[in-house]
Amino acid sequence: MPSGELGVVGQRRWYWPVFAAPGLLWLVLLFLLPFYAIAAVAMGGLDPIFGQPEPAWLPTAWDPETLGNILKSFTGNPAAGMVPLQPVFIRTIEYVFTATALCMVMGYPVAYYIARHAGKRRVLLLVLLIAPFWMSYLMRMLAWVNLLLEDGYVNKLFTFLNILPAPRNWLAGDSVTVVLGLAYGYIPFFILPMYAALDRIDKSQLEASRDLGASPAKTFLRVTLPLSKQGILAGTVIIMLPMFGDYYTPDLLSGSPNTSMIGNMINRFIHTRAGGPTGASITLMLSMFVAVLMLYYLFSVARAAREARQ
Amino acid sequence: MLRHPAERWSRLHMSRRDFLRRTAAGATALPTMAALLAACKEDAGPGTGDGEEPELRIGTPDSPVELQVFDDNPPIQSDLEVEAREGATLKIFNWQDYFWKRVLEDFAEEYNVGWEYETFYNMEEAISKIETGEAQFDVFFPTIDVVPGLVAKKIIQPLNHDYIPNLSNVWPQLADPFYDGRSQYTVPYTVYHTGIGWRTDMVDLSVDDFAAMDDPWAPFWDAANAGIIGLYDDYREALTVGLFRNGVDDVNTGDGAAIEAAGALLQELTALDVRYTIDGAYAKMPEGVFGLHEAWSGDMVATPYYIKTGTDPHFLQYFWPARSAFGLGTVGNDCLAIPKNAQNPVLAHAFLNYYCDFKVAMKNFSWVGYQPAQTQLNPDDLLGPWKGPFDASKGWIDGYVLESMPETIVTEADFDIGKRHLALPAETDLLWQNAFATVTAGG
Repeated sequence: MPSGELGVVGQRRWYWPVFAAPGLLWLVLLFLLPFYAIAAVAMGGLDPIFGQPEPAWLPTAWDPETLGNILKSFTGNPAAGMVPLQPVFIRTIEYVFTATALCMVMGYPVAYYIARHAGKRRVLLLVLLIAPFWMSYLMRMLAWVNLLLEDGYVNKLFTFLNILPAPRNWLAGDSVTVVLGLAYGYIPFFILPMYAALDRIDKSQLEASRDLGASPAKTFLRVTLPLSKQGILAGTVIIMLPMFGDYYTPDLLSGSPNTSMIGNMINRFIHTRAGGPTGASITLMLSMFVAVLMLYYLFSVARAAREARQ
Repeated sequence: MLRHPAERWSRLHMSRRDFLRRTAAGATALPTMAALLAACKEDAGPGTGDGEEPELRIGTPDSPVELQVFDDNPPIQSDLEVEAREGATLKIFNWQDYFWKRVLEDFAEEYNVGWEYETFYNMEEAISKIETGEAQFDVFFPTIDVVPGLVAKKIIQPLNHDYIPNLSNVWPQLADPFYDGRSQYTVPYTVYHTGIGWRTDMVDLSVDDFAAMDDPWAPFWDAANAGIIGLYDDYREALTVGLFRNGVDDVNTGDGAAIEAAGALLQELTALDVRYTIDGAYAKMPEGVFGLHEAWSGDMVATPYYIKTGTDPHFLQYFWPARSAFGLGTVGNDCLAIPKNAQNPVLAHAFLNYYCDFKVAMKNFSWVGYQPAQTQLNPDDLLGPWKGPFDASKGWIDGYVLESMPETIVTEADFDIGKRHLALPAETDLLWQNAFATVTAGG
């Protein structure tokens, strides 16, 4: 048997790569092909009778006009009659970054407590944390709609405690409501990877820090926080990516133009017959932006892995 | 299990009304307006179809059309045996919760057949499924704007009226509608108009107050109502309000300046915290989220069933501006059709005929909330006192419409004064869409 066909432990060279095949197939079928279809719709035409998108499957047939117009709209220079997308894109970034920051501020201590101090109650706390999220996102948001009504329990509580002088109309296009809704909806997806990262930290490193005279605060800042950086990044990526495409949170908790996100624009166009290419073009633009964030994450993970090997 | 309208969660996302309007583009992608107008020409007479090329015939109330009938897509012959007797299953393709299952059960029992009710999320998806043959249905509920395209593409089959004698029960104007002369392909389903819904405890105005206004939409621009105003999240319906306020009575205009001006008017509402929703009128106004909302008459009929238990619903009011000196308002209807590839076309004809029966149509109305176009329907009989929560076992037997909202009742005469949203050519449709997207993008 030619030695070239064998790996270091004796298996054939294709043995281990085969394990990646299902994942690759999954990626091709559920990511690359759909992504290509979106590009084909964005640069395709319309059915002459019903106005349904007619994808241009061959790149040679792609017409980038709509995509170009959307790019202009994103950059603040919309063509005549085109929707100006820059304000709504900036608003989306503001909402997503604020909600992500809230998730970090609220989620990190929770994950830290469960990982380091919950002891035997760890599993119980994790289950309790996840339990509300067995319910559908839609139902949870609808529950909030009722709680946030002018005569709802939130206003009743806040006025009773004198936090608010009078009931607030939370649902009348309030950015605060939408940002809090986003944070509420996505926070468990931040806590879980954060918990996993914190749980993996070797306790002996923390003990070494304390033995060398560091205070608990210093130990946290110098040891725990740097070692949990990958968890923070992973949690951030996991919640930020879907938040950028979110449209139902502002729809359910507001419905006002004041709180429209870029996902609302995509949803609007793809659900109108002749708007398919426009919706697909906005999707491509958003994907490119999100890809930059994703690349940073991948780069960071690769660097961390390199450093760990050294 | 039967469900109350309040359980129709699907409508939070996208009701058939939403898409009725959102996609009113129908046949949107005509190459030019000239082609559209050519297709609409008045002398587009009965299409016997012999050797004719399919063309898109889009009628208007002023220029009705008869749709082509093709040799390779003829109506079924008369006197055929109903497939029902052979243990067939009637397959319905409709918006979710837009037909009362109990009525379907009645039909199935009468014909000794089974039934299946499959739903679609929007008209685009529905057409795609039927066109590709991915699914075969016996009865389909298209919106009127897509009917010309369905005929041109031979997706639906012409009807044999020998099987539908009950069509005579339907208002003459809709039994011979402008979009499908002589009802060659469709029979009308429900009717509705678009008006103003409000709560008198939040907006202290009466129907008479609205009727006396030069512009009944003015309260939407009144700062006193900031935070409680809603319009439909629907580019045609919302922008039409702007057009009407600007004195434009063409609700299918292709005038870019008029469309942009309507959008600019709606943008003023952003400062008043206007919200665009699809469930605002029928579900959120009864909850108190909105005090004033653009409203379909059928949505308002359903509002009493969304209020908190024990609350008197008489604060809910509705007004259709076309009935005042203002004179402008939209009216519309949906329809039923039989796909060309229906497996039980005779049974499907029987179902269309069954629905055109007065009692059947009214029974369905009692659950759906959208009114049928029946000649025997007496508006006075529809009104009734509030009898408490809906009882699924009885239907709305004591008054289909809350007595305080007589304005929600649609009459045949309303179709003489109401404007109709029609199909738009692609370029015009995109003008509308972009104008509304600009409004909803916020400043």
